[in-house]
Amino acid sequence: MSSHGLSASEIARKVRAREFSVTEIVIDSLERIGSLDGTLNAMITIERDRALERAAKLDSALASGEGPGPMTGVPVIVKDNMCTRGIPTTCASRILSDWKPPYNAAVVEDLEKAGAVILGKSNMDEFAMGSSTEHSAYGPCRNPWDTTRVPGGSSGGSAAAVAAGYVPIALGSDTGGSIRQPASLCGIYGLKPTYGLISRYGLIAFASSLDQIGPFARTVEDLALSLNVLARPDRKDSTCSSSERPDYLDFLKVGSLSGKKVGIVREFRDYDLHEDISRGVEKVLRILQNAGAVIEEVSLPVTMTSGLGAYYIIAPAEASSNLARYDGVRYGLSEEAEDLLSLYLKTRKAGFGTEVKRRILTGTYVLSSGYYDAYYLTAQKVRQIITREFTEAFSRVHTLIMPTSPSPAFRIGELVDDPIHMYMMDVFTLPVNLAGLPGLSVNGGYTSEGLPVGVQMVGPRWGEGEILSMAGVLERELGPARIAPGGLADEN
Amino acid sequence: MKTEFFPVIGLEIHVQLNTLSKLFCPCSTAYIGTVPNTNICPVCLGLPGTLPVLNGKVVEYSVITALALNCRINRATRFHRKNYFYPDLPKAYQISQYDLPVGEDGYIYIRGEGGDMKRIGIIRLHLEEDAGKLVHSAADGRLAGASASYVDYNRAGVPLAEIVSAPDLSSPSEAKEYVSLLRQLVRYLGVSDGDMEKGSMRVDANISVKCSDGRWGDRSEIKNMNSLRALERALSFEIKRQTAILEEGGTVLQETRHWNDSEGRTISSRSKEEAHDYRYFPEPDLPPLFLPEGFVEEMEQTLPEMPWVRKSRFIRDYSLSETDVAVITESPDLADLFERCVREGASSERSANWIRTEVLRVVNERKTSVGDLPLSSHVLAQLLSMIDSGKLSNTAAKEVFDCIIETGAGVEEALKVCNLQSGGISGSQLVEIIRDILEKNSSVVETIRSGEDGNGKKSKFLQGLVMRETRGQADPEEVRMLLQELIES
Ligand SMILES: [Zn+2]
Repeated sequence: MSSHGLSASEIARKVRAREFSVTEIVIDSLERIGSLDGTLNAMITIERDRALERAAKLDSALASGEGPGPMTGVPVIVKDNMCTRGIPTTCASRILSDWKPPYNAAVVEDLEKAGAVILGKSNMDEFAMGSSTEHSAYGPCRNPWDTTRVPGGSSGGSAAAVAAGYVPIALGSDTGGSIRQPASLCGIYGLKPTYGLISRYGLIAFASSLDQIGPFARTVEDLALSLNVLARPDRKDSTCSSSERPDYLDFLKVGSLSGKKVGIVREFRDYDLHEDISRGVEKVLRILQNAGAVIEEVSLPVTMTSGLGAYYIIAPAEASSNLARYDGVRYGLSEEAEDLLSLYLKTRKAGFGTEVKRRILTGTYVLSSGYYDAYYLTAQKVRQIITREFTEAFSRVHTLIMPTSPSPAFRIGELVDDPIHMYMMDVFTLPVNLAGLPGLSVNGGYTSEGLPVGVQMVGPRWGEGEILSMAGVLERELGPARIAPGGLADEN
Repeated sequence: MKTEFFPVIGLEIHVQLNTLSKLFCPCSTAYIGTVPNTNICPVCLGLPGTLPVLNGKVVEYSVITALALNCRINRATRFHRKNYFYPDLPKAYQISQYDLPVGEDGYIYIRGEGGDMKRIGIIRLHLEEDAGKLVHSAADGRLAGASASYVDYNRAGVPLAEIVSAPDLSSPSEAKEYVSLLRQLVRYLGVSDGDMEKGSMRVDANISVKCSDGRWGDRSEIKNMNSLRALERALSFEIKRQTAILEEGGTVLQETRHWNDSEGRTISSRSKEEAHDYRYFPEPDLPPLFLPEGFVEEMEQTLPEMPWVRKSRFIRDYSLSETDVAVITESPDLADLFERCVREGASSERSANWIRTEVLRVVNERKTSVGDLPLSSHVLAQLLSMIDSGKLSNTAAKEVFDCIIETGAGVEEALKVCNLQSGGISGSQLVEIIRDILEKNSSVVETIRSGEDGNGKKSKFLQGLVMRETRGQADPEEVRMLLQELIES
């Protein structure tokens, strides 16, 4: 019997009941990766030996009667921008291709403490900049529903890994949609928590005020389990909330949504949405309504007209500063050079890809003296207005429903030379980062070509519980996320 | 009418705060003398993924210093990133304060050029992190001709308070006075050791020259002045240089100039065209800092007596000279030692005198600080009281003092070690010694007896011999009387 396709919660239960050993689970996962990843390229590093060694340790601990953790035996994959001690952490960039961190990210510590087994590091857009996982020094990742298409990005590797059944849970990071958009394109759940819910310590920064780590999973229960493990105060991250977190599994006990108000955003009508995506949104609204929720229209005028512009000023500005440390002096790529300036120029020229360079240039420009007020300061003001618009909306409704992405998975290479069109992929997700709110992408069905369609659920600050409750109600109707064939013809 | 020239000087002083740990990580601030790149961690090395965590103690130190400088404290403050590339800057940005410094609009009084008290404005005091240090492998330690450069990050992240003065200083000596006062102040506050030579206090100067005919030259920024003397010399040189340019009708360029101490001149190092655009923006990894209700008041309570207050109190309460007081109030340790000695019964005059001479002598000889001497105020007061009461001569007391410093012994023990007795040598014991000396110097005795010692030199000579023999334990007056008696008999 194979453990393939089990959820994390099921694995943890079966390991606890000794139906499976951790080693069996890990071998099943590694086999799945081995058979698919040649095609999908979802992984940058696979830590086979390390994972088996750890599985054996966990097995002997269980045998000696040690109490299991909430994730004992669960194989997980971590996006390659989260530091893992002694394991390469590349950000899919040449500039960090040889870098092994001397320390673990807070989330890595938490996963291991909970008993999870990290199998490796997933592919991504370089430094998390992109919406397709094509901008990777390790080659593009492919969508497990259609391998000629992108899995979305920037956490495309983690999304593809969960969708293709490598593992039940993978971690991504979301700065403007980098968890929700690939979750949508891969037909699974992807949750970006409230800014400050999960420690960013050890997450290699793209845009510090927007970055947030979150889980991909195929069941709502696994999302809640992940938050229980990852969401905690952390003194090493001053932007991480010091408040106690609830037990997120408690929110899944809700059966009825009576008394709940769900908002739909009026301005979405102005967008040229893919027909199947509109249909997905309608379907989700109908289910919520049937469960007792009341639908109300809300308006986010500034958010929908100016969010994208503000985001593409603030995110590159912070990135230009965050990525300045890769100078060839201390770690990572260092090109031979005659003097200091040419060391900087040669290293950064060889080390960064086109998209990263584009954003560093943009960011440097908008922070330059003489332009700061017109760009950065204005963008910050817009950000405040957006936050206010959301606050106003959430004074009237409990959650908002909107599309995750304007289109389903596009073809590899289709948008790679059209950055503005590519940036538009995040138009519905990035305002949520600007306002620091939680957002979840759930599957809302499939297109006629069989491509998943995502629907986004947004909550107020610290409203993860509210979102999980509603997602739980949806899941009861729609079932858990399906496992994708991953390029294997005999499945599905 | 002859044109007159007036120097206009403002100083930017970086003070290293001596908290236990660095500004944003748990590494120690005691980096001096450590093996390169051992006093580091992922955070101060700026490794990818690391985040700064503000050291609360640094905030306290900076608020205390700003309060002592009469600054208005910003209860709501925040940090910015100052972006520039340099190998000693691990993140390629320095976390600093920009629009909301800890303190603003302060002032301090110095003794001005004319002798009157002069108010010097403090524009701001802000916090920032220190950088690492470049080490060049050329023989002379300089960049020119170096074949390789190394970076030591042990200093990276050490907290700095940057104190920016208004351009209120009008001479090199006023600048020196101001820096000395600041140094004294940070030592009183216990927030820094204020050592310019060790780099824990670094002074940059902005200096321009204004002409009586209305012309005003651009300012130059002078760096690399590593002592008070260097500061004075560099400013004097710069005033001469700028004045000469203006006298000839030329224009002074706005530029950064480095003081070369061995050549005794400033050298242009960076022109305005290359000026950095630091692209400041609010540090997103640190939330804005709100000082809690009552925090500033609480810090105010912890302020010690200011050095200038202490100085005038010493002059008033102990009737000491201004010069004496200036020396003993220079460091809080000395001033504390003085006051404790007096409290334990030693006379203020003798305490001041001894601290100025003996205590400072051993401090300088041993290149140490008062606090590190094996000398308690109790022991010193006991010793000085013995001189006051005539139980021990000043000379003998010095010998005992040296013994105490050498061995860390108490007074009684040191007296024994030095083979001295308290209470002195007198009476028959003293007569014995004098007789002995007179015998050995019979020719001198003869001279005196024959009345040829008109100016009393010979008698003084004998008196000296007796004092030496008794190692100062005899009462000089008794010695004089006995000598007279015995010579005449
Ligand atoms: Zn450190």
